[in-house]
Amino acid sequence: MIWPNLTPLGPALPFLYAGIILVVTWALARTVNRLIRSVMSESMPHVAASGSRFASVLIWVVGIVLAVQEIGVSTDILLLVVGLAGVAAVIACREALENAGAKYFSDVYIPFKIGDAVRVGEHEGKVIEINPMTTLLLTEKDQLVSIPNRMFMGQVVVNTTPQAWKEVAIPISVTSGINLAEFESEVRKSLSKLRSRLDPRFPPLLSGRARNPLTSDLTLTLFIRQPGDRDIVTTEANRRVSLVLEKLQRPKRSTRNGRAEPAT
Amino acid sequence: MSEAWRVCINTQTPLLQYLDQGLARTVGRDDRPLDLGSYHEGTDYRVSPGGVTRMVLPLVRRLGEMGAIRDPHWVSLNAKGPKSVRYDGLVLHNVEMSRLRMAGYGTIKEAVWRVAHGTRTTKGPDELLWTADFSEFAYYNRATAELLRRLDEANDFDVYYVHDFQQLPVGSMLSRAKPKIFRWHIPFEKGMIPPDWRATFEEYLRHYDMVIMSTDRYLRALRDFGYKGPAKRMFPYVDPKDYTFPSPKEAQAVCAKWGIHPKDQVILVVGRMDPMKGQDVAIQAFATLASSFPRAKLLLVGNGSFSSSRAGLALTKGEAWRAGLEQMIKDLGLEGRVVLTGHVTQPELDALYERSLFTVLPSHREGFGLVVVESWLHRRATVVSDRAGITELLHPGKNGLVFDPTKVASLAQDLHLLLDDPGELRHRLAEEGYRAASPCLLDAAAGEEVAMIREVVGP
Repeated sequence: MIWPNLTPLGPALPFLYAGIILVVTWALARTVNRLIRSVMSESMPHVAASGSRFASVLIWVVGIVLAVQEIGVSTDILLLVVGLAGVAAVIACREALENAGAKYFSDVYIPFKIGDAVRVGEHEGKVIEINPMTTLLLTEKDQLVSIPNRMFMGQVVVNTTPQAWKEVAIPISVTSGINLAEFESEVRKSLSKLRSRLDPRFPPLLSGRARNPLTSDLTLTLFIRQPGDRDIVTTEANRRVSLVLEKLQRPKRSTRNGRAEPAT
Repeated sequence: MSEAWRVCINTQTPLLQYLDQGLARTVGRDDRPLDLGSYHEGTDYRVSPGGVTRMVLPLVRRLGEMGAIRDPHWVSLNAKGPKSVRYDGLVLHNVEMSRLRMAGYGTIKEAVWRVAHGTRTTKGPDELLWTADFSEFAYYNRATAELLRRLDEANDFDVYYVHDFQQLPVGSMLSRAKPKIFRWHIPFEKGMIPPDWRATFEEYLRHYDMVIMSTDRYLRALRDFGYKGPAKRMFPYVDPKDYTFPSPKEAQAVCAKWGIHPKDQVILVVGRMDPMKGQDVAIQAFATLASSFPRAKLLLVGNGSFSSSRAGLALTKGEAWRAGLEQMIKDLGLEGRVVLTGHVTQPELDALYERSLFTVLPSHREGFGLVVVESWLHRRATVVSDRAGITELLHPGKNGLVFDPTKVASLAQDLHLLLDDPGELRHRLAEEGYRAASPCLLDAAAGEEVAMIREVVGP
């Protein structure tokens, strides 16, 4: 590796280099994060957030390995352990991962939600729960049917809810630093520009799905006027939500009376 | 009752309004609620006037005395108050909003209120729910829901009690598994909700575990609207302990402040300055008989609401209406015969009730009309608009007189009847009214509230 001649620093030198590597890693992760969000601005905000999170983790893993190597610790064993653990985890949890993965994609791409009536294979019922592994249907006979989420990726799914085609559901993850009230207000203002494509009786609906100390998972539901508008509305709504998220992630300014508005 | 419930109340109007700017900016030490012990009611702060706070505060006190609730919290809109304060066993929390957002919120609130009171007309599709103002309305409700959620994380409430139409979306935004009760305080008439709003209202309502309406008619209208969830009728109420009953001499002494002579025949109208309250109808009716009853005086008591106050939303409706009434009084030559008192304190109001011959509720539309109950408590006969919810308790000619507020002559006739009466009719109406008031008194209502909360929360 080519480094400037800093011999007088002696033994501290590797630690300095490792520090520099970590700083560069941090800067690179931020840049790539922004780049991905910008490139994916018309994708589902949920997908864009996952994409940028994945890239960040990858960059940090590489950065940390290089930094560790720089201070003289062998990374061969570390890499081997991480690799084997990963393979073991994949083999052990193959079905669970399939279901969790299917849940992730069905959340994003399959048009049904809790409360809808759906038919999957020979099963039909009202969706009452969607968890990481299965989707629970309540049948007309008051029976619970648990459908592994991977079934939704490999089977024809029919949403029999009346006028289900009208609904466009967009999953959104909002980080805890963002004021949720402000987010809702801004999203509504922005989406009002699409109202010629939306059913005027149903303004945008923002509902909570899950919450943890770091993020709030929400679903934005829009109701389109024409079936043919689904794609264009989805794309435009995704873009607008991403812009609002980006805007609100910038540092906060005070209100006119000098006091910040309540945070989430 | 096995254990006291932890209740979180939510209203738009704050229980307290802060009169002292310094107090409004004060924050409790270490972010703890500010204790109002060292401040003075009346100079530093005052209890907000109005039906909702007048009803909810006594309820909270009574349920606390009964051991039904403990450590209650109360969340409301208040841009000009400390973040949280401790008052009368309650912890009050204020939701803050910038003035700009407040204006948008106020526009929507006013529009919904006008729909409920039958004065909003729109041509073509109604785009209200798509406006920037509606975004601010949603902002306020979401900010409220977020504060309620955070408080629940710290206090583990048993139930939320959400009051009035401005807060309706809160239930759908509050993603907590705790039971939510919603009380609708304004009129809810059949066919009132515009078709374009229907889906939104349905969505908001379905998130509540119980909806309370003030009258049987409103409850029927809610069912006609298509709401299938749990709902009840519960009359609004007051606590008789909140009232004083000064002697005629004491009452006269207080009323001299407004130029009332001991021999004057006082007709009392109590209500905030708002076109919907129909003070204009009362003035016009009074004008037709002022010359026949030279000692009669019409007293209009009340100021703007929280919405029109400077401490609240600062909508100018109240001031504009008062100016219009003053002009009307001048035009009709009734200066000195019609008196606008503005805001009065509770002891002053009690003195006015005691000094009055009878009272009038001339509203063009009134969710309920607790001032009629107050009038009955003071054993005063009352003349009530047939557009007030309380007419469900009125038997015309037996415990009150009822008139059509679109017909000035109808009210004038009733005023004439009571001014001309030697006392027998007024006395009879007042005594029957006093008996009719019982379902609207806290003693009856507290038990009903406990039963309702138990039904929602579980035994």
